Amino acid sequence: MTTQDAMNTFVKDTGGWVASQLEACTRCGICADACHFYTATGNPEYAPVWKVELLRRAYEQQFTFSGKIKLALGIDKKITDADLNHWSDLNYQACTVCNKCSIACPMGIDLGSLLAGVRSGLAAGGFVPEDLAKAVQLQLDEGSPLGMTDEVWEDRLEWVEDDWEVDIPIDVEGADTLVIFSSIEVMKFPTNIAAIAQILNAAGENWTVSSTAREVVNFGFYEGSEEHTKQFLKTLLDGAKELGVKRIVVTECGHAYDALRWHAAHMLPEANNFEITHITGVLGELVGAGRLNLKPGFYDELDAGTITFHDACKIQRKGGHIKEPREILNLLAPESFKEMTPNQEQAICCGGGGGVIAIKDADPIRFKSFELKIDQVNKVGAKTVAMSCSNCRLQYVDGVGHFDLDWKVTGLSQMVADALIEEE
Amino acid sequence: MMQNPTFIRGPFFQAALLIFVAGMLYRLVRVLMLGWSKDNIPPMGSKATGVTQSYLKGLLIWPFIPWVKNTFSKNPVIYLAGGLFHLSLFTIVFFGAPHMLVFKSLLGFGWATIPLPIVDWMATAGIVAMIALLIHRLTNPVLKLISGLPEWLNWLFVFLPMITGYLMTHHLFLPYEKIFGLHVLSVSVLLIWIPFSRISHFMFYFFSRTIHGQEFGKRGVKP
Ligand code: SF4
Ligand code: SF4
Repeated sequence: MTTQDAMNTFVKDTGGWVASQLEACTRCGICADACHFYTATGNPEYAPVWKVELLRRAYEQQFTFSGKIKLALGIDKKITDADLNHWSDLNYQACTVCNKCSIACPMGIDLGSLLAGVRSGLAAGGFVPEDLAKAVQLQLDEGSPLGMTDEVWEDRLEWVEDDWEVDIPIDVEGADTLVIFSSIEVMKFPTNIAAIAQILNAAGENWTVSSTAREVVNFGFYEGSEEHTKQFLKTLLDGAKELGVKRIVVTECGHAYDALRWHAAHMLPEANNFEITHITGVLGELVGAGRLNLKPGFYDELDAGTITFHDACKIQRKGGHIKEPREILNLLAPESFKEMTPNQEQAICCGGGGGVIAIKDADPIRFKSFELKIDQVNKVGAKTVAMSCSNCRLQYVDGVGHFDLDWKVTGLSQMVADALIEEE
Repeated sequence: MMQNPTFIRGPFFQAALLIFVAGMLYRLVRVLMLGWSKDNIPPMGSKATGVTQSYLKGLLIWPFIPWVKNTFSKNPVIYLAGGLFHLSLFTIVFFGAPHMLVFKSLLGFGWATIPLPIVDWMATAGIVAMIALLIHRLTNPVLKLISGLPEWLNWLFVFLPMITGYLMTHHLFLPYEKIFGLHVLSVSVLLIWIPFSRISHFMFYFFSRTIHGQEFGKRGVKP
């Protein structure tokens, strides 16, 4: 571990874009109220502005006159290993990089990006929590952090094809669309794989999966290492290029979509050779264009109680797919679909994103923060919670088990697939 | 210095003004020169729309109508105090008749002022708001954590011109000449302090609000 590497990365990554935002902060503390970890625990160290403190100090000490004076007068101290360890805990365990704080900040500071910047420095210095570092190593070694090796991937897909009687085209050259699933879906929510395959087949899409570009999860992006993020992204783009597809569709995984859609082209300009989108966008398009034969009001007829939708930070607030789930649910469940408050851009994070769910030490605050969701869901009286992110879904399933709740947790694709009218 | 009001009103104030302008320019140029990478990500929505909404939200909705954002209204008094303080400061500095004389002498031109009773009411509201904000900073756990010497000085250096200005217009405690000298002195100290402090946020506000609008706009979501 070296503090110097962390500092160098802070300095290298600090252009005008980051600096002007660090300068804009008035230290008003308003962002704290937006953070689910702060609200749930009341620990002032979980205030977003405090999590960014490390980056601000590095910036001021390096670049500003007042920062240098403060250092000389002893008002500020040089950043130490102990500081980096402490901020590693704050940033990896108590932040999902959900960017809700940015909406609360009266200056409009894009805190999510600054928090990602803090992670970059921590990763460069080797201050990534052990659990996360292990997962990254697994992805480097086996191509997946969840043990989805080549054989496992093949077996699982074959099993899905057999069990759900659905075709999954593999390595089809010249297909229009490459669909990349996450190992969370392949390993934990295989019904998602079946659902998405059923939907795309029903719509007559010319699609394929790839045996090389098969893991959309990017643990390098969680830890904040540009090197690893880039390497994992490159595997995907190379796979897409080999098959000659026009479009890449990320399935129900939030951070993977964030990495591929909103960051890949900064590191790998060839990303712009493809249209990159999320399955939620595709569903919205197919349903809107009437390309799916769906049964309107399907869920109202099931009479299984109120359905609500959980907005995933990386797919809705940071991803832009806010309208589509509403259009779909208003079609399939016009009576039983009810919104939580707050929702959409203002939604409260599930508490498990940003790699938090992978870190054992974060369990207590992760569950604590989930209590905010329990409160929200209970307020609208929902029995089913739908979402379009498998990482959120993992957190919900875990939370439902931990708190012994009687909710059904499901994915949006799953809901669409179930409402398809079988063609004779 | 205190004994010499002409010095305070003359060269000292002018020097403070010079330090303020030069210091702010330096800060601006410094940040601009750190380099700006180009955004080559294909947008999903319009950046221009996002930026417009971002400013509208920043100026109108925020912070005067805190309950629009139901999750952030845990402490509406503080939002109102923050908003009121800024409004009061702007009104007094840019639309108070005595300040207009200073602007006229500095710039060679002026603009319409707001009648004294309104300005005076604003000043009272501003002072009350500042005291509320201080109490909040002293008691809120997050603010206690993030406040160091610079934050306390920020408060003090802004409060002094406000309180001396108030005492001056109401002819309280000290003879007019003396309190006038103190007022100009405190303004000068504030002007010198701003480039070294986070009060400079009024300049960087335009960066962060624009960035915020761009980031949300390009994703097609409301900032
Ligand atoms: S990004 Fe989300 S989790 Fe992180 S500090 Fe901001 S509100 Fe909290
Ligand atoms: S809300 Fe914005 S300006 Fe206020 S402390 Fe947080 S980041 Fe800084």
